[in-house]
Amino acid sequence: MALADFLADLDSLLTSANAAFAAAADSDSLEVARVEFLGAKSGRLKTVQQGLGKIDKPDKPAAGKKLNEVKKAITAAFEQAQQNLSAGGGEDAGDDGFDPTLPGRRARLGHIHPITQTIEQLKEIMGRLGFSVAEGPEVEDKWHNFDALNIPPIHPARSELDNFYLATAEKAAGEPMLLRSQTSTVQIRVMEKTPPPVRIISLGRVYRPDTADATHYPMFHQIEGLMVDRGVTMADLKSVLRLFASSFLGGDVHIRFRPSFFPFTEPSVEVDISWQGGWMEMGGAGMIDPNVLRAVGYDPDEVTGFAFGLGVERICMSRHQVTDIREFYRNDVRFLEQF
Amino acid sequence: MIVSWNWLKQYVPLAMSQEELETRLMMSGLNHEGTETVGDDLAIDLEVSSNRPDCLGHIGVAREVAVLWEQPLSIPAASPAEGSTPVDDLASVRVDCPQLCSRYTARVIRGVKVGPSPQWMVRRLATLGEASINNIVDITNYVLYECGQPLHAFDLPELIGGQIIVREATKGEKFVAINHKTYELEAGMCVIADAERAVALGGVMGGANTEVLDETTDLLIESAAFDPISIRTTARRLVLHSPSSHRFERQPDPVGIDWASRRCCELILELAGGELAAGAIDVGEQPAKREPVVLRLDQIERILGIRVDREEVRKILTLLGNEEIKADEARVEVIPPSWRSDLTREIDLIEEVARIHGYDKIPEDVSVPMAPSARRDIDRVLEKVRGALVAAGYDEALTPSAVDAAASEAFSPWSDADPLRLTTPILRGADLLRRSLIPSLLAARHTNQSLANPVIELFEVAHVYLPTPDGPPREESMLAIAGGGDFFAVKGAIETVLAALNPAAQLEIRPMEHALLRRGHGVELWLDGQLLGYLGEVSEAGLKQFQLRSAATVAEIHVTALEAAAVLIPQYARQSSFPAIDRDVNLVVDESVRWAEVAAVVEASGGELLESLSFQDTFRDEAKLGPGKKSLLFSTTFRSAEGTLTNQQVDEIREQIVAACEKKLGAQLRA
Repeated sequence: MALADFLADLDSLLTSANAAFAAAADSDSLEVARVEFLGAKSGRLKTVQQGLGKIDKPDKPAAGKKLNEVKKAITAAFEQAQQNLSAGGGEDAGDDGFDPTLPGRRARLGHIHPITQTIEQLKEIMGRLGFSVAEGPEVEDKWHNFDALNIPPIHPARSELDNFYLATAEKAAGEPMLLRSQTSTVQIRVMEKTPPPVRIISLGRVYRPDTADATHYPMFHQIEGLMVDRGVTMADLKSVLRLFASSFLGGDVHIRFRPSFFPFTEPSVEVDISWQGGWMEMGGAGMIDPNVLRAVGYDPDEVTGFAFGLGVERICMSRHQVTDIREFYRNDVRFLEQF
Repeated sequence: MIVSWNWLKQYVPLAMSQEELETRLMMSGLNHEGTETVGDDLAIDLEVSSNRPDCLGHIGVAREVAVLWEQPLSIPAASPAEGSTPVDDLASVRVDCPQLCSRYTARVIRGVKVGPSPQWMVRRLATLGEASINNIVDITNYVLYECGQPLHAFDLPELIGGQIIVREATKGEKFVAINHKTYELEAGMCVIADAERAVALGGVMGGANTEVLDETTDLLIESAAFDPISIRTTARRLVLHSPSSHRFERQPDPVGIDWASRRCCELILELAGGELAAGAIDVGEQPAKREPVVLRLDQIERILGIRVDREEVRKILTLLGNEEIKADEARVEVIPPSWRSDLTREIDLIEEVARIHGYDKIPEDVSVPMAPSARRDIDRVLEKVRGALVAAGYDEALTPSAVDAAASEAFSPWSDADPLRLTTPILRGADLLRRSLIPSLLAARHTNQSLANPVIELFEVAHVYLPTPDGPPREESMLAIAGGGDFFAVKGAIETVLAALNPAAQLEIRPMEHALLRRGHGVELWLDGQLLGYLGEVSEAGLKQFQLRSAATVAEIHVTALEAAAVLIPQYARQSSFPAIDRDVNLVVDESVRWAEVAAVVEASGGELLESLSFQDTFRDEAKLGPGKKSLLFSTTFRSAEGTLTNQQVDEIREQIVAACEKKLGAQLRA
């Protein structure tokens, strides 16, 4: 075989190899091209290489040198093509198959329960109004759940049917205990320990035997505000509620009081907020009954105070348009992930 | 309480519009629930709070209207003409249970003609949704809705011995009510009996045996006072709620008992004829005289924050029926009316002034003094905890505080004492206060599994209730996690939480055996010598108990321990300005050697230049490593605060480390 033919074969091999490697759009087609040109058994380079044996002896060094050069060049072209593919075609590559609309690699994000979110927001607003957070036990005695709150000994609110009494604790402690029916118990506990002035919100789980339906659940959350000092009046109550509601809802809202009845406040009112052209019920409130002040060792002729209570679930439901309170406790992750 | 417009205007002029009436009543304490048109009348539904039984009759509502619009109130005199036969000759009353029935009055009318009621009465009752029965029954209902005092008419000849005996029911006693259903009574219920048998369930429902029928001619009219708690219990136990029991539960005007009886008889004579026996039988306590109440005028401003004119205060109190006995510049002293048992103290009168004067007069823009309020550490800790878990992909759950027996038994690592039991379950079967949150979260996993939700990663922060020998339970705040990943997924979440609170915190792992956890895959977590909590993969038996198809890993962490470990105000530490050098180490050790032991030896032997140590991987290959062996690959980073380390320095330390591991753990460096 003539040296010139051998060299020409090598040149054309290099040209086609370069073209094939450059044209490979993905690793599969590049692999096909690699086998075609660089395959160990029957690659085209191997085939051309076999021609070296037929070269005349004096021409062999030149032919071998060229073969090595071409082999190197083809290998380099292959590696370059491989690198281009893995690097996404290189910075300058144009239509290299990069699809920026594919979804990103997202971290799975969890969600804070909507009730917790609502509570945190209420705590935060009340904190800015100077109210500190207080918590207390959920299992309570009759003193904190009834007596100190001015609920008379024969009041129906104490009935077995309206409370979750403990069966086991009764014997042990000598007096009945129950799951608290309101967070006012915490207010009593704080006032018993703290001389006035007091400005707190108490919050947590409360329990009342209701059959679970779309608007009732035997367990729910309350948040209650309490402010006791010399000279605290219902005007302070109305003004604090207005600041609170304006902060929570945004904008300038107004407060309306309607008379109501709660044993632990006198006067007692229902609180409405002006909202979207109408009045929205917000919760109960009032001036702390003198009997309650006396029960915690305060002198009702020295200090006055107000208290208000809000149902967290109700606020949360109206805020997020949740139509069934049971959703909060079912823990369907598709529900939780909406908030 | 449904109020008929036409009926109401019998007692007070209604010159205002319907809407004005509804609004003002609502703003003074009678919440408006809705109004419907019935024929030419309006049925106005008002919510009456439990302290205002006086408004459970038209006259009470009329009185509020009279006060608000300053209109005259006209109440029927109720003075029926009496015949000559003394009532004592015709009937007798004995009360054996004054604790259940404090007063019982009876009047007798003979010779009535039972028949249909006149149209005006039928219509008024229809507005209230009451069907007409006959003139006698209708009249007792009518008077109930007029003044709020329930009444009952007995067919007198059916009362054996002409006798009324008020007594406590005997347990198991049977009673056929006017609805012809039989009820089994319990002790504590109040029975009206004749000489032989029960004829009514006092204050709740009449009996079938003495019912007024078309042929009835002689009547005994009962007007009495019953114990509200007993009435309430009876009505609830027997599911016999009636307009009568509703009112007795709230204690009607004690003075109204006799008025209602007279009014009833007056209407019967007028509409059904007959002759009223002379006098009335009246057994039991007469209404107590009301004590005077003093209102110091300056207290109004002290409570309400607004001044109300003295004359306005006096007018409001008087219009409401309070009898003014003294008034000077500083105070007003009144005797409250019999129908307002809720007015006994100064503060009660202040509330009356406030609601009639109008709460809209109280300003909503006074300046309230500022006060400091610090955020509690626990709130800051829980914010970091929740933030870390949410970032790690966990959703926060809230589950009920009580569980059923199986769930309660499934896991209770914090206490061996029996759980506290509620007399009423919170939800079906759930009557035990939980000692761990984990069973609740596994139940929530099951709920999600049944909804085919693919990823269920939950956590909850709530109390557990750990019983104490006497007194209330120890309520401890817990953080529980239940995920679908393996042990290290949840361990990693806990480590992330800890890192958010205190980067230096080092968990210590101690083995733990529990049926809920897979053997060898359950551990106690300790922090600084304190038990922090529990972690483990749920065992096959555990998965089966909670009907879980896929693996789950759970953990429960004591929040107070987390709080104790938290560093909420991190302190600055100066960082070295010299570069670090890394070295990987691959050691072959026995299977029994734990990473924690290797880490301890590395840290001890690495000296102060060892900046960090991080585990990379474990390899097992019996052919290459030999039986019972594994190789541990880890990275070490070295840095000096004084200068740039040389490779030679670092290699020397690395050799020290390897030598220590060889000596203490029998480790071999893998080539």
